[in-house]
Amino acid sequence: MKSIGSFIKKYINVFLGIIIVLLCIGIYFIRKNTYLEYTSNLYYMNTYIQIRLFSNQEQKAKEALKGVEEIFKVYHDLSNKYEKKDNNLYTLNEGKQDDFLLDSRLYDLLEYGIQWYEKSNGLFNINMGCVTDIWKNYREKESGVPTQEELFACDISIDNIKLSDHKLMNQGQNIDLGGISKGYTTSIAADYLKEKGITRFIINAGGNVVVGDHYNQGKYQIGIENPNLDGSLLTVVNANNISVVTSGSYERYYEYDGVRYHHLIDPKTRMPANYMKGVTVLSKDAKMADALSTILFLMPIEEGMKYLEKIEGVEAIWCGMDGTLYRSKGFFQYES
Amino acid sequence: MEWMELFIVLRGFFNMNPSDRKVILFFLLLFFIFLLLFSLKKEPSNKEALVYFKNELVLTIDLSQNDFYKTKGTQGDILLEVKDFQIRVVEENSPKHLCSKQGFIDKSYETIVCLPNEVVIKIKEKKGSSIDTVVK
Repeated sequence: MKSIGSFIKKYINVFLGIIIVLLCIGIYFIRKNTYLEYTSNLYYMNTYIQIRLFSNQEQKAKEALKGVEEIFKVYHDLSNKYEKKDNNLYTLNEGKQDDFLLDSRLYDLLEYGIQWYEKSNGLFNINMGCVTDIWKNYREKESGVPTQEELFACDISIDNIKLSDHKLMNQGQNIDLGGISKGYTTSIAADYLKEKGITRFIINAGGNVVVGDHYNQGKYQIGIENPNLDGSLLTVVNANNISVVTSGSYERYYEYDGVRYHHLIDPKTRMPANYMKGVTVLSKDAKMADALSTILFLMPIEEGMKYLEKIEGVEAIWCGMDGTLYRSKGFFQYES
Repeated sequence: MEWMELFIVLRGFFNMNPSDRKVILFFLLLFFIFLLLFSLKKEPSNKEALVYFKNELVLTIDLSQNDFYKTKGTQGDILLEVKDFQIRVVEENSPKHLCSKQGFIDKSYETIVCLPNEVVIKIKEKKGSSIDTVVK
């Protein structure tokens, strides 16, 4: 006993020293792996945008938040069709010049939007501004329905958007980027964050969500809201590094004579599409997910399922008019 | 860099007089106990509503107390009601009154967004839902 006692006494400082060293090393690693959350609430593109970053470097995270806000501000201004800014969409639609030298970011966005016209057999048409303007006026008045004459007086030919050599030739275009600008911008913002070394993030811009790596080695749980808006969820998607985008008839609409008229217009009938309550698309590519959610909303569910089979790495869940859920083949992999 | 600092601190510690070392160890122990206690008590015990105006957290409301609250938005004041652990917007000034039409919310992933007023209301709870975000 005595010898053990004296042994402990003799080496107590060594033991305590070792404990301190271990504690210090522990704290160092805990600090290194502790990701604090940095958030920012923005209001651009007529929607509420929430940015959440998880980082162990405060300065870097705060700079990144500012950078993301700047991206949303720039793209908000460029794609704004209702407010005049230097060579933005409003100016192009005004058509007061023979041609416009475009900001390269707007040029790329327009080019990307036009690509989807062919890929969707004309369902995704960014030259629908004339039609969407008419519907917007009725939506704001909350009364009446536009006549067929009114709607079909619009020339929505995609050939009216003539791009070449960073210029847009004035052809009487009326461009509306509402179906693509949010997804496009979230994608740019996500790329920016990764470039800055911030891989753990959630960007939620209305119906457009992009997540990066998880903050805690798990997977993000992304709820898909029930179109009934009763606060319940249709399902939960478990995934990292993915984009989840919903198009629904329940966000922007008005009711007249007991009929609901929402903002997603079928270019063929020029009326709101009524195949479903909503559709949610999952893809690694946020730009594509946004365009596809609009396209799938504008076609019958079965047709949409077939359409999606041709595109790799994309899944979707549809909520039918009666609330029935339809899933693409691989969607279940993402559900818990 | 951090490893070098650690080394310098440790060298100082071992060159120290043993009684001083004990005092330091005592305080370190006390520090770790506090750290443990604080890390356990960090989360709020109640369900709370967080009210943001633009990018600022302007109000934190305990949802266990039924009451009315006022907060400011870009279009004027907003009246909030808390009832049975839920919160809603009662009155606000906006063209369509979407956020007062939304009604009560009570889940941690639900939000009320008053877009024209640049006000957002979120719910925070200790053992809330594990949902990280919601797409609508």
